[in-house]
Amino acid sequence: MTELRWETRLLAVVAAVLVVFGLAAVYGASSLLTTSGRQVGASFALRQALGAVIGGLLATILARLDYHVWQRAAWPLVAIVAVLLVIPLLPLTHAIAPTINGARRWVDLGVMTLQPSEFAKYAVVVWTAMLAAKKGDQIRTLRRGVLPFLVIIGPIAGLIFLEPNLSMALLVAMLAGVVLFSAGARIGHFLALAVAAMPLLYGAVANAQYRLARVLSFLNPGSAPSEATWQVHQSLVGIGAGQVFGVGFGQGQQKLGYLPYAYSDFIFSTIGEEWGLVGVVLIALLFGVFVWLGFRIAKSAPDPFGQLLAVGITALVGLGAVLHIGVSLAVIPATGITLPFISYGRSSLIVSLAATGVLASVGHARRRAG
Amino acid sequence: MAKPVVRLQVVQALMFAGLAALVGRAAQVQLVRGARYAAEAQAQRTQRVVLEARRGTLYDRHGTPIALTQETYHVGVAPNELRDPVRDGRLIMRQLRLTLRRWEHGLRKRYAYFQGPYSALEIHPLRAVQGVHLEPVLNRFYPSPDFARAVIGRVGADGRGASGLERTLDSLLAGTPGAAVVLRDRAGLEYESPARLIAGPVAGHDVVLTLDAELQEIAQRALDEALRRMDAEGGDVLMLDPVSGEVLAVAARHDDGGARPSAFSDVFEPGSTAKIFAAAALLTGNLVRPDERVSGEGGKYRLASRTIEDEHPLPTLTLADAIRVSSNIALVKFAARLAPEEQYRILRDFGFGAPTGIEFPAESPGRLRFPKDWTRPSAASLAMGYELSVTPLQLAVAYAALGNEGVLLQPSLLREIRTPDGKVIYRHRPEPVRRVVPPEVAAQLRDLLLGVVEGGTGAEAALTTFPLAAKTGTARRVVDGRYAPGQYTASFAALFPADQPQLVVVVKIDSPRRGSFFAAQTAAPVTRSMLEQALAARTVALDRARLSTSVPAPESAPLKGDGGVVPYVVGWPYRPDSAATGPERAVPDVGGRPIREAVHALHRRGFRVVLKGWGAVDHTWPAAGERARAGSTVTLFATDRP
Repeated sequence: MTELRWETRLLAVVAAVLVVFGLAAVYGASSLLTTSGRQVGASFALRQALGAVIGGLLATILARLDYHVWQRAAWPLVAIVAVLLVIPLLPLTHAIAPTINGARRWVDLGVMTLQPSEFAKYAVVVWTAMLAAKKGDQIRTLRRGVLPFLVIIGPIAGLIFLEPNLSMALLVAMLAGVVLFSAGARIGHFLALAVAAMPLLYGAVANAQYRLARVLSFLNPGSAPSEATWQVHQSLVGIGAGQVFGVGFGQGQQKLGYLPYAYSDFIFSTIGEEWGLVGVVLIALLFGVFVWLGFRIAKSAPDPFGQLLAVGITALVGLGAVLHIGVSLAVIPATGITLPFISYGRSSLIVSLAATGVLASVGHARRRAG
Repeated sequence: MAKPVVRLQVVQALMFAGLAALVGRAAQVQLVRGARYAAEAQAQRTQRVVLEARRGTLYDRHGTPIALTQETYHVGVAPNELRDPVRDGRLIMRQLRLTLRRWEHGLRKRYAYFQGPYSALEIHPLRAVQGVHLEPVLNRFYPSPDFARAVIGRVGADGRGASGLERTLDSLLAGTPGAAVVLRDRAGLEYESPARLIAGPVAGHDVVLTLDAELQEIAQRALDEALRRMDAEGGDVLMLDPVSGEVLAVAARHDDGGARPSAFSDVFEPGSTAKIFAAAALLTGNLVRPDERVSGEGGKYRLASRTIEDEHPLPTLTLADAIRVSSNIALVKFAARLAPEEQYRILRDFGFGAPTGIEFPAESPGRLRFPKDWTRPSAASLAMGYELSVTPLQLAVAYAALGNEGVLLQPSLLREIRTPDGKVIYRHRPEPVRRVVPPEVAAQLRDLLLGVVEGGTGAEAALTTFPLAAKTGTARRVVDGRYAPGQYTASFAALFPADQPQLVVVVKIDSPRRGSFFAAQTAAPVTRSMLEQALAARTVALDRARLSTSVPAPESAPLKGDGGVVPYVVGWPYRPDSAATGPERAVPDVGGRPIREAVHALHRRGFRVVLKGWGAVDHTWPAAGERARAGSTVTLFATDRP
């Protein structure tokens, strides 16, 4: 069973390459920015590097830990995340949860600023895997199988939606869905849920001007030069301008105010511009390898919980990447999904790395079991 | 657990499919439409900026700048960007000479703007201060704004020459603006560092004018003073170097406040100042003997249709007397010996009725009618300087021919043209137009003019130190096409010194209203005063060595009595029988010029022209630069270029 060792090692290599690539990309995309009158310079990249160190240490520890601790920690994890998610919604917590760009998505814990929704992704994956593994075949029933999940995941997604961060809420729901689907939930239930969610989703989109604009601009690009169209269009211009080999690292110019959040929400566009199709293929390959390894680990996991946990974590990274890249390429309406390992944002980076550590521990578990 | 494995495969396959689809989409964006997006990106974030070229400087003949372009700065200060508002503020206040109040007022704004303009020296210490933004501007600056203003002209708001020499010389002075592509961000802010220079700006050529700053100053002051003293309507002063044709000073002043180059553009009837040209025709044709006398008729001479009067009647007069006292009667009597064609030709040869060709955008050709258009009294009128309108410049150029041994020169305002790095690409050389009178006749005519100052109407201009040759003229003034009662134009044309003239001075005063209106009492003393100042001045372009030798030996005036030199006289218009024995001279380069200009240029050099083809000149035979005898034939080959 030595073959799993190379899988976890390769996993670590892929994650490390992505992180390093990300640090460079964040530096390139943010250094010319000015925030509050001061040029960013290397400060974003250095903060990100700190996150990488923390995440790396965490991943190393978690990889050596028996993943079953998560089975026991699932409920407390969900509880903590729920509390963190509630903080920004409370009226008197502006001091630690300021409004940034019209949303309150961050909580300042004194030591560092967290984005609770990033942690919610992981918590939901762990919790769903735990409960699905516990339910076994019961998952195929509605009342005892699917409904209990809805009771917890619904409110969590609701809290994220209220931040407001519709995209993240949807991602969390999708992650839970992937785990449930892998656990064997009935396809009919998914369809029913999807139909039931439609009006809700429509209401949410129609309610917020900016979301509607995004969706409209997605459906009919070029109709109105609104800010939303502008973002998507600039993202395409940047990637397109990269052509085959890119304009060269650091030479991209879309970040000069043309592309918003070139260092986070649209970092893939920056990469596409600076590295060209070569870079795009490389990134896709790295995430593809990650997904492939994740599913290899999942398939050889010793128990259902390990398997579902592996699938959930793989989806957390893979689905995040697909959504982010899809947005950059104007395939999916513009959202604020980060690119795992690469986008600026320490919460996202630490969660991705820690989850990778857990994934590795699932891989190790098989070896130890054998 | 067979089913979960299938489900895993499904999820995995979906994710791979998603990634693959995205790579496909990226390929479409980057390969198929990449070029278009790249072009769009290029277009939106780069901006072509014009780099202004420094306009060339105009200098006077001694190198004093008359018009120059300087880089000045507007200064913007963003108070929130200042590192140390107190220390930087003190520096900014000191360099920009701001009051404390003004500075504090500026501090309250997000962006304080100080128009200035500030010189490079003033803002230099501010270059390193963060938060200070410098905006360079090129400004045309005239150190003494009144200096020959109408002639120098001004630059328009578009930076191109709008009037005067600034306009004539615009293509030389303007230089070639450069271009660069700069990066700009979405806010329009330009980034300097990744700028791509397409072409650096090439500064314009510097032009050294023939004007003499000191003489110009003297002329302007003297004119102003004279106009005030005489309460006159306006006037012109023009000084010319007769040997080179270079204009040394042009002053003009008018009651109406207009600053027009009237010495080039406004015409007047010269009156008696033109009598010398009738004398030139008489002497050239040997029609008058020096001792020949005519009756003064007691001051009233009845001609067929009118009566001619003299101000200072003499019983009998020689030609010299006629010029000296400016006798209308005697001159009309002598001039009757001239055929109208002869009379016309001499005036035409002296340049009347045609533009002088000076490098100036506005020049009047004056008016000289063909003999066939003359009426019966025309010949007599022309002899007295009427029925003829001239510009002060034409008059000065014609007198300069008398001072230049009878050769008419094209007047010029340009002495030298230099490239920005100091290479001289043009240097003015005398441009002979034609020989008007033989040198000995020119000398005789100067003697006649010398008599005017030594005991004639020009006595008021006499200098104690040097002999002066001059002629007065007081003519009735034409206002709106008819003679205005009681209004006169007083003019005075002088050659200084009389024997080897170095300076032609023409003074014209319109309608002197206080005191005498006679030129003898108005324009003549002004001339003397100017010459005295010029002699006292240090830098004026007078050859003092030549002056000092000429004083003790006035009898050694050239070409008078000594037959040592026999210069060849190019007859004009050209007559074949006197052909091709002239001195050799270079064929001018007329390539590319329109035929009319080319023929004109060749004619001026004394060549015959045979034309082949039509359009613009391609080449000549003999080729440009080769030497050919004056009077020989130059063939012009023209091609019809689109």
